[in-house]
Amino acid sequence: MDYSLNEEQRGWQMEARKFAEEEIRPLSLARDQIADPKDTFDWEIIKKGSKLGFRTLAVPREWGGHEADFVTQAVVMAELARGDSSVSKTFSQCWKWSHLIAASCTKDQKERFLKPFIADDMFVLGKGGTEANAGSDNRMPPENDPKSGWKLRAERQGDDWILNGTKMFIANGSVAKLFFVDARTNPDANLREGSTMFMIPKDTPGFRIGKVFNKRGWRFYQNGELIFENARVPHANVVGEVNGGVKARATDKSEFGDIELAANALGICDDAVGIAMHFARNHKRAGKLVIDHQLVQLKLNEMYMLTEALRSFVLRTAWERDRKMPDLGNNVLVMNYSQEVVQRVTRANMDIHGPEGCMMNARVDKLVRDAMVWTHLAGDTVQRVKVVKRLPLTTG
Amino acid sequence: MYDLELTPEQIEIRDAVRDFVTREVKPAATDPARLEPFEKPLMTGLLDQASQMGLRTLGLPEEAGGAGADLLTTCMLLEEIAVGDVDLAVVLGETALLVREVYGAMSVTQRQHWLPKFESDDRFHVALVARDDDAERGWSYYQAQPVDATAPGTPMLTAVRDGKGWVVNGSAPFVSNAPVAGLFIVRAKISGAPGTVTLLLARDAQGLSIDEPLPAFASGNELARWHHGAVAAVTLKNCRAAEADVLVAEAAHRMHASLGGRHAVQMAAINIGVARAAYEAAVDYAKMRWQGGRHIVEHQAIGMKLADVAIQLEAARGLTWKAAWVADHPAAIGNRSINDLPWPVIARTFTAEALHRATLEAAECFGAMGVMRDMPLQKYVHDTLVLRHSVDCDLASPLVVAEAVAGFSRKS
Repeated sequence: MDYSLNEEQRGWQMEARKFAEEEIRPLSLARDQIADPKDTFDWEIIKKGSKLGFRTLAVPREWGGHEADFVTQAVVMAELARGDSSVSKTFSQCWKWSHLIAASCTKDQKERFLKPFIADDMFVLGKGGTEANAGSDNRMPPENDPKSGWKLRAERQGDDWILNGTKMFIANGSVAKLFFVDARTNPDANLREGSTMFMIPKDTPGFRIGKVFNKRGWRFYQNGELIFENARVPHANVVGEVNGGVKARATDKSEFGDIELAANALGICDDAVGIAMHFARNHKRAGKLVIDHQLVQLKLNEMYMLTEALRSFVLRTAWERDRKMPDLGNNVLVMNYSQEVVQRVTRANMDIHGPEGCMMNARVDKLVRDAMVWTHLAGDTVQRVKVVKRLPLTTG
Repeated sequence: MYDLELTPEQIEIRDAVRDFVTREVKPAATDPARLEPFEKPLMTGLLDQASQMGLRTLGLPEEAGGAGADLLTTCMLLEEIAVGDVDLAVVLGETALLVREVYGAMSVTQRQHWLPKFESDDRFHVALVARDDDAERGWSYYQAQPVDATAPGTPMLTAVRDGKGWVVNGSAPFVSNAPVAGLFIVRAKISGAPGTVTLLLARDAQGLSIDEPLPAFASGNELARWHHGAVAAVTLKNCRAAEADVLVAEAAHRMHASLGGRHAVQMAAINIGVARAAYEAAVDYAKMRWQGGRHIVEHQAIGMKLADVAIQLEAARGLTWKAAWVADHPAAIGNRSINDLPWPVIARTFTAEALHRATLEAAECFGAMGVMRDMPLQKYVHDTLVLRHSVDCDLASPLVVAEAVAGFSRKS
């Protein structure tokens, strides 16, 4: 066994740590406290991070990216999240879909979309599946209701497709230049057999961004409403095959999305641990250092224990994906585990701090709010149920 | 004898408050225009309406024109108000409690002076300026009892004898109800002598000033507001009080000793109200939302969450009502009907932890909408988190129970 990172992985880790500490962290709280969700985003940090390679980390070398392996991606996401979880997610959201471009798009599509994506520091990616009445149903379509799932309609008209409908809560909604959008191309078939994925540039006629959602946590991260009113998209923008939208995504075997959330959670835990330890060693309560109280010692122990266990699970899972080992559901299990860990660790940090009169340390509170997102934006319970089909008969 | 039956009067007033909350408070409190901004000014119009219903004078004896409500009835009604808005419940609860206790401690002359002012004005609330709310308060377990004037935790206020009266100086950074109070009950350390003096000061007393309510973020965005109700700093500068404004020392001592426990039980009841609002929203939504080929309430994963929330709510209410009943019937401990335990701490700490988790479960039923600021679920979660980590409830507070069980006393 060997737990060490290689030189390249370590290099990316150090670069990300430095960037998070020097650039992301100083703006994190101020951005979190901007009331209007449209104004929390900051292009400067995206441009700076892009120049360091964080936006294009996952793109293959032949297309001008860095082709970082999954272990590197996990390590970088955790380091960036230590500075601000939602800034880290803004970068990694681009990796998720650059995986898809690399895996499923034609050479022409790569020329038209991957090249400008590589070249432009302000080119970020988004993906739209969720609708007002299609959330869990998209992840786990019920057998008795073939019409469930997204309703956004796409109809062929010559060389174009006409799209009508609305997507909700879409990541990078108000800032992305390119979206991958799931649409119903055969309303009589179920989701798997009747939907197609389209690439939608931001300036597509008939397409616009509606509301930007106002969230309790991850406030930097933009979740928007995508509105299609007779939006016209060329057939050349179909990803994979018509009525093969679900399969198009399945060609990306990485299951990156699930590792992504777990690695990001790890960064929040690292941040919380650092804040708690610093506070406990530098503040006194009742005449002794906070860390000298047994209650606090037990909480710190819990925080370290859970964080290190999560780190092992995240890196092991990333390593399994790099080696293309049999998929036994670990990528989902680690995401589920990260939800529990990130919420317990951030709460323990709050326990250690306690209120300051009628105020609370704002970053301690922010981490708890960010951690809450894990229950709500990742389909956590649905994934827990869904993964059971993939689990092996025994463990170990 | 064990009797949980409410009187017809209790049921009647509970239903009236529930109706008021459903019709007036909830629609205002859950309006996205109020939910989304960080600043949440007190809804004073609704506060006045609640006062007109008698909720401000709940604790005042009937002979003095109040409802003479016991703690159990008060808790029942605070829960109902908190289903609508936690801040209204905290302000009303504070006034109801303080006016009850201070009435008990006042002389006949003092009652004649203050009661007409209190009763004639629906906007007349009461505040207690008695503790130093500094950073240490989050770890109050480790402090000596604040009753002892020489220990930390007593006010940063000092009183100097001046002829027949007193001159008070100092400030308190976080005073509940300060923005709306007409009467300030001020406890100050006696300068150069042991002990404290408790004074009754009017809002317009010369030398008494009240800051603006605390903003959502402070100290260069390093601190976030973490309280309910209406809180502001109070400063006293050469503030003079006549001998007639002084509470008799023994009566004041009894009042201060009684406040903490009753306050904790009331906060538990308010906590139940917040979690109940989340629960009721989740039940309604789960019956309506259709995913996975059925209403989501029919999925085991959702059903189990709702069941757990319901169980936690009932357990918390059982403990809180018991703690209130014990406060209303102190003889029950003396005659060995009830264990001699710090019931307010037991009710408060159990409720805070159990109902924070329960509120998270209720929010989970809403999927992504559970974290959206134009929906109330994220606010309920935040409110229960504040209740879990606030003055009388923190990581260390359950240790008070350990002391009682084992019969040891912490070092001061």
